[in-house]
Amino acid sequence: MNQLVPLLMDAAWPITILVAWLAGEYGYQLAKLPRLSAYALIGFLLAPGQLGLLPQTQSGMVLLIATMAFSLILFECGYRINLRWLLVNPWIAVSSLAESGLCFAAVYFVLTAYEQPMTNALLLSALAMASSPATMVRVITESRSSGQATERLLHLSTMNTVLAVFVFKIILGWAVLQTSGNIWKAAYNSLVVLAASVLLGLLAGMLAPVLLRITKRASQDSTLAFTIVLLCLVALTYGMRLSPVLAALTYGVHARHRRMVLNSSQRGFGALGELFSILLFVFISSRLTWPQVVAGASLGLAFILARQCAKILGIGLFSHASGIHWRKGLLIGLACAPTPAFVILVLEQTNSLSSKMVDQLIPLATATLALEILGPILVQWSLAWAHETPKP
Amino acid sequence: MPLESFKSSQSLSLGVELELQLVSLSDFDLTEASPDMLELLRRKPFPGTVTPEVTESMIEIATDVHTGHTTLLAQLRQIRDTLLQAGDRLNIGICGGGTHPFQHWSERRIFQKPRFLEVSMLYGYLTKQFTIFGQHVHVGCASADEALYLLHALNRYVPHFIALSASSPFVQGNDTLFESARLNSVFAFPLSGRAPFMLRWEDFVSQYFAKMEFTGVVKSMKDFYWDIRPKPEYGTIELRVCDTPLSVEHAAALACYLQALCSYLLQRREPPPAEDDYLVYNYNRFQACRFGLSGTVVHPKTYEQLPLVDDIASVLERIQPQAEALGSTAALQHISQTLKEGSDARQLRLEHASRGSLEGVVDSALQRFRQ
Repeated sequence: MNQLVPLLMDAAWPITILVAWLAGEYGYQLAKLPRLSAYALIGFLLAPGQLGLLPQTQSGMVLLIATMAFSLILFECGYRINLRWLLVNPWIAVSSLAESGLCFAAVYFVLTAYEQPMTNALLLSALAMASSPATMVRVITESRSSGQATERLLHLSTMNTVLAVFVFKIILGWAVLQTSGNIWKAAYNSLVVLAASVLLGLLAGMLAPVLLRITKRASQDSTLAFTIVLLCLVALTYGMRLSPVLAALTYGVHARHRRMVLNSSQRGFGALGELFSILLFVFISSRLTWPQVVAGASLGLAFILARQCAKILGIGLFSHASGIHWRKGLLIGLACAPTPAFVILVLEQTNSLSSKMVDQLIPLATATLALEILGPILVQWSLAWAHETPKP
Repeated sequence: MPLESFKSSQSLSLGVELELQLVSLSDFDLTEASPDMLELLRRKPFPGTVTPEVTESMIEIATDVHTGHTTLLAQLRQIRDTLLQAGDRLNIGICGGGTHPFQHWSERRIFQKPRFLEVSMLYGYLTKQFTIFGQHVHVGCASADEALYLLHALNRYVPHFIALSASSPFVQGNDTLFESARLNSVFAFPLSGRAPFMLRWEDFVSQYFAKMEFTGVVKSMKDFYWDIRPKPEYGTIELRVCDTPLSVEHAAALACYLQALCSYLLQRREPPPAEDDYLVYNYNRFQACRFGLSGTVVHPKTYEQLPLVDDIASVLERIQPQAEALGSTAALQHISQTLKEGSDARQLRLEHASRGSLEGVVDSALQRFRQ
């Protein structure tokens, strides 16, 4: 019996993943519920704050694996980004800037109305801009959707995530400057981190083809090499307290534009991708506790509403000009619901963020939980309403 | 419903239809993009017509009626440029080629249109497998009997068009060893193959079509997937054996080769077509599909074995006066060049060898279509 407790402790994560996977499969089969929603729900229920199967303190390894999971999906997102498209059709970039800007302003307005301190409000508003590319990729893969809504969701969510990370880091630098007065520390937290992360992403993009040439692997099975390089990149940026998110995205974009071909059968990185997404989505919601969710309920709902309206308006406004029907534009705005805010916060936080500041960002808990569960459903429905999923 | 009467049209006038691939620029697989493309293209006048095809990864364009190579090619280029502009705006690649090298038919979506849904219900998986891309050439005929004469007189030349247009060596991720694997998919349909041998329209309507309609098997000419079929509503015959070429220049050249050939055949210097010509028809067709320009065909009258390349070269020489009269000598020169350089299928195989992946093959087809 004495040996059972440590055994359960060791097996907590595998058991949770098993339960989440089963819930995902049954939820999908019985109610066509996106698997991600089930993973998030299970993660929240089994979290230390609720049923307590998962341990109170997360080991560094779990955090690193979650970071790798997130980065793997972001790499795929980056790989699907076509920078030439943004040049040929500038309205895509305009709608991205519009929806991100509106989102930042709307959320900042709500947060200040709820009397949040200015620094917190700015940081939260920056995070609110991002629509979770991870959720998009997984739901798109699961629902086998394709079309303009699908394509634009991937591009817009990737672009607004990059924007969010940039703005977040810059505000963070500014906040550090305010509190410590140390300009080097402030600059390091923003510009140096951003530049170094992008640079490492580019280097990884150069390294992968070299490895492929050395090992004489045919281009058809290059996915494994890409994945290994990516995991090294994440471990490195994570260890150096840089931005794994930005590095992975840059690596993905670079790989695509160097015309390095990922086999289409490897979409979503197969079983590894599946496993990583279960872990990631369980992990995100396992960080939340019921009291936090209750405490932030009113603000969280206002946050969701403001953010959602801004995204629908920002994207809908330029949909016709960018070459699609306005109805599709509004649906893309609706599908931008999922937010990676909390995960970015956890994965991207630096030592410079005092624990007090992290606590003050907790109002995001309600919004995160709600959007972790409802977000994938909204994406799934929007894609179906846009007629981009196969008919049963 | 009885078959409509054959509408007379200007003899040897031309119209071209091309079925084109819609490709994702992320992984080079086919993408379900035709609803979005059509939505965008509806906003401005289109130079010709653009319509959906049976699955959402395809789009079909058609030219107006032309009499010569210059105007036909000019319109095809205009259509191509309009499509590319729309594709660029929506991040969609557009290319030719008779098959997509590695798409899986099971991933395709049927375009939501009553006729396509009806066809899908009837033919099941064959409909999605029909995500293949052909060029159809319409040739105007002054009368219905002229149309049937031409249709059957062309029987011996069908392998020429298969070999010259062949651009479908890869299917579902594999080299099929065929130059045109596309036609194997067409053969799966029960009403494919060749038209029954009748030279009088009256006989065709009363002795064949009416009986077929009475059996309940067909409702209109659209239900036949023949290699060449009459189109009474246009007053044309429609050649359907060509793969969509990789470039509009090649598409225009093929159409004008057919036009000059029809002009030559209408002078009736050759022995008239006969039912027995079809004894060697399927064998010749297979040779052209499998070996392309390296194939050997059997002459239906003399039973002489002829290398396809030599046969085409001698026909090109023979129809030179007709080409000059029609103003399509440039088209024939293009065909002559193809005999030297090899078909699009050969080009695609070379790309595969140099780039090492089928994704690279699609990328090369996308670039080729733009040139």
